[in-house]
Amino acid sequence: MLELVTSNRGPIDVEGGEPAESVETLLERTALGDQQAFSELYDRVAPRVLGLVKRVLIDHAQSEEVAQEIFLEIWKSASRFETTRGSAMSWILTMTHRRAVDRVRASQAGHDRDERIGIRDIEPAYDQVSESVEIRIEHERVKRAMAQLTALQRQAISLAYYGGYSHSEVAGILSIPVGTVKTRLRDGMIRLRDELGVTS
Amino acid sequence: MTGPHDDHDDPRLLTGAYALDAVSREDAEAFERAAARSDVLREEADELAATASLLGLAAAPVTPSERMKAELMAKLAITPQLPAVESTTGQDARPNAPETVVADAPAAPAADATVTELAAPASGAAEQRARVRWFARPVGLLTAVAAAAALFVGGGFVGSAIINSTTNSTTIDASAAQLAAITAADDVQRETVQVTDGGTATLVWSNDLGRSAVLVDGLAGLPDGKVYEAWYINSGGAIPAGTFTASADGTTWHVLDGALTSGDAIGVTVEPAGGSTAPTTDPILVVQSA
Repeated sequence: MLELVTSNRGPIDVEGGEPAESVETLLERTALGDQQAFSELYDRVAPRVLGLVKRVLIDHAQSEEVAQEIFLEIWKSASRFETTRGSAMSWILTMTHRRAVDRVRASQAGHDRDERIGIRDIEPAYDQVSESVEIRIEHERVKRAMAQLTALQRQAISLAYYGGYSHSEVAGILSIPVGTVKTRLRDGMIRLRDELGVTS
Repeated sequence: MTGPHDDHDDPRLLTGAYALDAVSREDAEAFERAAARSDVLREEADELAATASLLGLAAAPVTPSERMKAELMAKLAITPQLPAVESTTGQDARPNAPETVVADAPAAPAADATVTELAAPASGAAEQRARVRWFARPVGLLTAVAAAAALFVGGGFVGSAIINSTTNSTTIDASAAQLAAITAADDVQRETVQVTDGGTATLVWSNDLGRSAVLVDGLAGLPDGKVYEAWYINSGGAIPAGTFTASADGTTWHVLDGALTSGDAIGVTVEPAGGSTAPTTDPILVVQSA
């Protein structure tokens, strides 16, 4: 990782035929003002970023706009990424989700969203994009983990994460106390964490 | 088990909602303060943030338009980066939080949105703002700007063009290096104006270096036999500063020939191919340096 940061002449030689640099490395190079690294990073993660934004915002044009803001934010704040606190992909998607949610709450359209959007369970919509096996596996893994939750936990998490609803909005939609929502979200997320084997 | 429903619950109960961005801004801030004081809380918050990001990966990927990348790369050249923050451990409870960095300005279609942001970079600490520099760290600049050059000069953005430019196009590289030197200068300044026929022009200059460059977003193409020509304008008249053409799409840039004298205005006119020794048409843009 260190030698990649200091060598900015030409393509990186990686012996052993492994052409792809990690998202971490690309992000670190981006932090040094390396636009080429940023461009590669973009190519690597943009479909995931846009996919998540669009999942929350639905509207494609608005989603691209927000995704572009997110990438500018990545460019600006790449130096703030801390490897000790999670993967680069996680950092990017955390930022992505926050931005998407900020937008959906700021826009009037957000208030008019069909509640079914949130209640929809996590479901594959694989017709538009051809995907790698790796992505399908990831998706399957998350789907299986989600299946381990109680229906109520799953519902609350989907509303919050994919619907972009706040815990009090979720409470309103489900007609349950906010405290119950908080508990459901936390218990559900801890269960997911354990199912997915996430450690810090 | 479930605590009371008031808003002063144990922050531990909020880790799930927080990771899912399902808390209000006030609750988020309260949570972050609590997490800054508690390793246990912070650890759980980081883990659940990573878990939430797996939910993000499970959303179906969507291929962005080519235009999105082209616009984005154009904006990079005029978007400063934040310096690294030393030792944030324990200070910043938000997992790798970037959120105070960017103004929540509605995205404008052109690069001037970014410039506006520069003028008022959101709610960060004042010192942070003061430390913002274009290309905060010069390491890697040449590669970086070569990429920008491929974008600007090559017209429609194509990923492979970046690689090509770094190996083939020495002229572009040299010019890109000059642009990099200007944008990396400690005293770099910028000014944005509207172009007569539409589009936005940004002048970046450094009095220390005596150099300047003009970046135009949405510059119109010209018929054969015509070029754009830049001028340094002062009380002595207009001094030719090189000709250029519009990129096919996106942002055009030109590093001016000759030396900038502090206070010069920079103008651009349409001239016959080869350029003129004095302007023969009205300028499409004039930007005042300072």
